[in-house]
Amino acid sequence: MIKILGLEYFKIRRKKIWTMIILFLVVEMLWAFMSISRSIAGNPDQAVWESVFFSISSMNGLFMPIISAIVVSRICDMEHKGATWKMLVATNVSRSHLYAAKYICANSLLLYGILAQGALMIVFGLIKDFPGALPIELLSRFIGGSLLTTLAVTALQQWISMAIKNQAFALCLGMLGGFIGMTAGLFPDAVRHIFIWSYYLDLSPVTYLYAEPSGSYMVQLVSPGIVVAALIMTILFYIAGSIHVTRQEI
Amino acid sequence: MKRSISAELLKLRHSRIGLVLAVLPVISLLIGCANYYVNQGVLQNGWYSLWTQVSLFYGEFFLPILIAICCSYICRLEHQNRNWNMVLSSPVTVASVYFTKLIVVSILILLAQALFMGLYWLAGTLFSLSDPFPLETIGWTLRGWYASISIAALQLGLSLRIRSFATPIGISLCAVFIGLGMYVVKAGVFFPFSLLTIGMSVLSQDKLTNAQNILFWLMNMAFIIIFATMSIRRLKNKDIVTS
Repeated sequence: MIKILGLEYFKIRRKKIWTMIILFLVVEMLWAFMSISRSIAGNPDQAVWESVFFSISSMNGLFMPIISAIVVSRICDMEHKGATWKMLVATNVSRSHLYAAKYICANSLLLYGILAQGALMIVFGLIKDFPGALPIELLSRFIGGSLLTTLAVTALQQWISMAIKNQAFALCLGMLGGFIGMTAGLFPDAVRHIFIWSYYLDLSPVTYLYAEPSGSYMVQLVSPGIVVAALIMTILFYIAGSIHVTRQEI
Repeated sequence: MKRSISAELLKLRHSRIGLVLAVLPVISLLIGCANYYVNQGVLQNGWYSLWTQVSLFYGEFFLPILIAICCSYICRLEHQNRNWNMVLSSPVTVASVYFTKLIVVSILILLAQALFMGLYWLAGTLFSLSDPFPLETIGWTLRGWYASISIAALQLGLSLRIRSFATPIGISLCAVFIGLGMYVVKAGVFFPFSLLTIGMSVLSQDKLTNAQNILFWLMNMAFIIIFATMSIRRLKNKDIVTS
């Protein structure tokens, strides 16, 4: 398994996926930081660590589904493009292992993106001199929540990217996910919890309470139900995708 | 040229790209309508309020990405199976290859815009909006389509250059945010993605002055010419990598 995983990294060594992720995230972070800076300028009470966690979580609702779709599509599409599936399955490696290797590879790349986000958030907070010590607990909950949601999203994306050769569908799904993730706050809870992309906000360590004339940030407790739902979706999408792709004719 | 266009359309046969083109306007419209329905108490400007809700996500985020998907898809076929060698050795000029692809993408986007407009009319009718249908929204949709062509010219250049299907789409996502920033700082006419926001009257329904209107049309034309020239020059002068 380790060898197959190593080969996945070897195949993408010149694809600059790491750089691409960072570039996309830099745009997201710059946008979020600019918007936080503007809101702090308008209301100095907003200069708290919670603001940055909430803003990035809500922006992740839009960006992460699309970035996940792009990363997974690039990892799977190289086999479609190069017509290397037949070669791969003719080797002494089971298809489920190949599927798992691609899944781990994609998620490790995205984890690197989430960790980079965490680092940039800390730098921003230190530059803005937010009060209080480094919120390690919030940061670890942010990383955990984002990763858990990403695991489910990539499981779904990998299923589509591998099963359908035309990557327009996978990217379209990513875009729809981004759309749902971005507008998640508008849906009632019962509807929102059906869509995995809205979990970036649900699993965020901070929420925002809207009130007149101005709202406030509030640390939200981990909801075990949401965590379990995300885990179930991850397992469901992964197993369904793996079984479907493994049995599919090449 | 006509034969090149029909060849491109032939390549799109059975691709089900129509499904992708239809899904996004439908979903953005559904969510926009749901938002309008819930906030009817605040949104009292009839058709115009409905427009602000349905066009916001579609015009601001999803149309640019839809354009990127179309451009990537139309170039993907050439990046596969050494098709570039075949295309460039055929008795068709490089400019013709580029413009054919641009025209086909423009037709696809026009279809998406027409679907969006039809759905907007249908939604307004179902909401029993009392005012007559505002004909200027058709103008906004057409202006949006025109701005889409300059984005398509840029995206096509990227997709011709970058062999990956997904990377140009990611770049368009980043460009959307840069465009939004440019619009906010009132420098929207200098960036194609903000021109789309202006053209479709997504964030402001104020009528453009004559000067703004002329600038809008001229800037889009300039972007189309610049991006097309750059892409055609590159196709002429650089070696094509095939696999």
